[in-house]
Amino acid sequence: MSFVDNIMAGFSLVANLESFLALLVGITIGTVAGAIPGLSATMAVALTLPFTFSMTPITGILLLLGVYKGGIFGGSIPAILIKTPGTPASSATILDGYPLAEKGQAGKALGMALWASCTADLISNLALILFAGWLASFALNFGPPEFFTLILFSLTIIAGVSGESLLRGALSAMFGLLLATVGLDLIYGTQRFTFENPNMMGGLNFIAVLIGLFAIPEIIGMVWNPKADEGKSRALGNNWVTFQEYKNSFRSIVRGSFIGVFLGSIPGIGAAPSAFLSYSEARRKSKNKENFGKGELEGVAAAEAGNNGVAGATLIPLLALGVPGDVITAIILGAFMVHGLQPGPMMFLINADIIYGLFIGLIVSSVFLFFIGSIAIRGFKYVADIPRSILFPSVMVLCVYGVFAVNNNLFDVGVMFVMGWIGFFMIQYKIPAAPFLIAFILGPLLEDNFRQSMLMSGSSASILFRGPITWFFWTLTSITVFTIARAGINARKSNS
Amino acid sequence: MSDKLIQLRLGIGAISLAAFLLLIAIPFWVTSPSNVPNIILSPIFWPNTLAIITALTGLGLVLSGLSRFSLKEPISLNSEKNTKAFFRLSILGFIMGITILVMPKLGLVWTMMFVFLSSAFLVGTTYTKTAIICSIFLPLILYLFFAHVAGVAIPQGDYVRLP
Repeated sequence: MSFVDNIMAGFSLVANLESFLALLVGITIGTVAGAIPGLSATMAVALTLPFTFSMTPITGILLLLGVYKGGIFGGSIPAILIKTPGTPASSATILDGYPLAEKGQAGKALGMALWASCTADLISNLALILFAGWLASFALNFGPPEFFTLILFSLTIIAGVSGESLLRGALSAMFGLLLATVGLDLIYGTQRFTFENPNMMGGLNFIAVLIGLFAIPEIIGMVWNPKADEGKSRALGNNWVTFQEYKNSFRSIVRGSFIGVFLGSIPGIGAAPSAFLSYSEARRKSKNKENFGKGELEGVAAAEAGNNGVAGATLIPLLALGVPGDVITAIILGAFMVHGLQPGPMMFLINADIIYGLFIGLIVSSVFLFFIGSIAIRGFKYVADIPRSILFPSVMVLCVYGVFAVNNNLFDVGVMFVMGWIGFFMIQYKIPAAPFLIAFILGPLLEDNFRQSMLMSGSSASILFRGPITWFFWTLTSITVFTIARAGINARKSNS
Repeated sequence: MSDKLIQLRLGIGAISLAAFLLLIAIPFWVTSPSNVPNIILSPIFWPNTLAIITALTGLGLVLSGLSRFSLKEPISLNSEKNTKAFFRLSILGFIMGITILVMPKLGLVWTMMFVFLSSAFLVGTTYTKTAIICSIFLPLILYLFFAHVAGVAIPQGDYVRLP
């Protein structure tokens, strides 16, 4: 099919009230959840996932993408108003957003955050449309050895960059890989760690593990310290951002968007580093660099452009290669699987209508985000007033219903609770959860591709080095390990 | 707890886990056919490889912990506060256990009402009326969605059944 045919097929899938409504509801849920300190975009996407089971794949995935986009922007609202980032990606927004709020210009800061977010989101979505298809057509040449080296590279970079310690990230990834071995063997069908329990033969349920790891630890944390995360909200003020101010920051917004696109398309980097890099670049290039950190509107614009520029780009490796760019896209990968779809190069051939339908939905989402964001800014005080002692029991009830609904199985609820305690333990011991989840998802793919490669070569490891693509990923993996290890050693030297 | 102590504990834990996997878990709980042509294709190869890498990661954590002399980031709280927090965590664990045990008998909706109320009071809510109203309506609304929209067979229990 030609590009125009694909666009038309995609349009026929999404041009209905149900799809646009799903997108609208998703962005609303995401913005509200992102705006509530203690909830996060990740938790919101995880909790929304079970509600998509009864929907068509395109509607369900549009709902989740809406939550994702809304959640990333929503996090900037508490960052500016109460100096508490709703998501880690909004941390850079605090630097200038909160000083502006202290000066009585919170409305201006939030307005700029919204404009920058929507612009970056649009640029990121366009980059996705432009590059995902190209990357997928390139990835059609990949066989099991190439996929093995690609997944290994993704795991290395994810384990390395998602925490303060490479070793703790690696340990987290190892736990995830080990847990993914539970179930029947992929080739011989023999039992691995199933203890003759039929509930475990298909492996541990992905959604139970996911919700257990990301939502339940927050509830346990709330029980551990019920008084945490209480912030004082600032008034919006009467000032609103003007078009001239947007124009003045436009270069920083575009620069930040491209930084976001670049970093977002590399699996594992995530939105927070992108936001900080965009912010520091804006400060370096700005005429008012001495004003950064004291309430500079351009600083808010750059930080928000950096973190929203990532949102569409993280879908590039997901859709083109089947490798999630961050935790949220890992959940969305799970959603594709739940709906019987396998992201990757073949999806561009088999389900091109869904891919192009998603592209159209994503472009529309930037417009929806602008309108819902404008309302959310004014309605934040009502959201912030929800007592945490009511919010978290509600999350607990949602978790149990959601996990039970996957397989109508009480065993999954038990798995979720156990994973919740493991997640809480990991927080206490500063072990990042992201490598765990991504390794849990990618583990079976890694093993499957490794064993397929061995079957192809008669158990000769030379097949893992068979061509330029495998060598390319081995080189990247080596460089990543070396760079992260060196950065860790340097950090320790400078601390001591 | 200092950074050094965290690294050491994690390292020792990882080595112990790897030893448990290699000596007990994999030999006893992973079955492999006897006619596998090559060890690399055996179902035990992958778990063994992961266990060995876990042990190496653990060793790395122990070594990096031992090389850290500074006891930075002390995060221990005062003991009375900690005792209360542990007490609350124990109750939460008990609530979770009870949830699994009573759900087949009581049904998901009624169990969730109990879970909502007990966890709200566990964190010391001062919004008693809101908690009671939410504990009744939230599980009911979710029941309506999952049972009548998504078509999920929500367990009804042996006592009070919902339409």
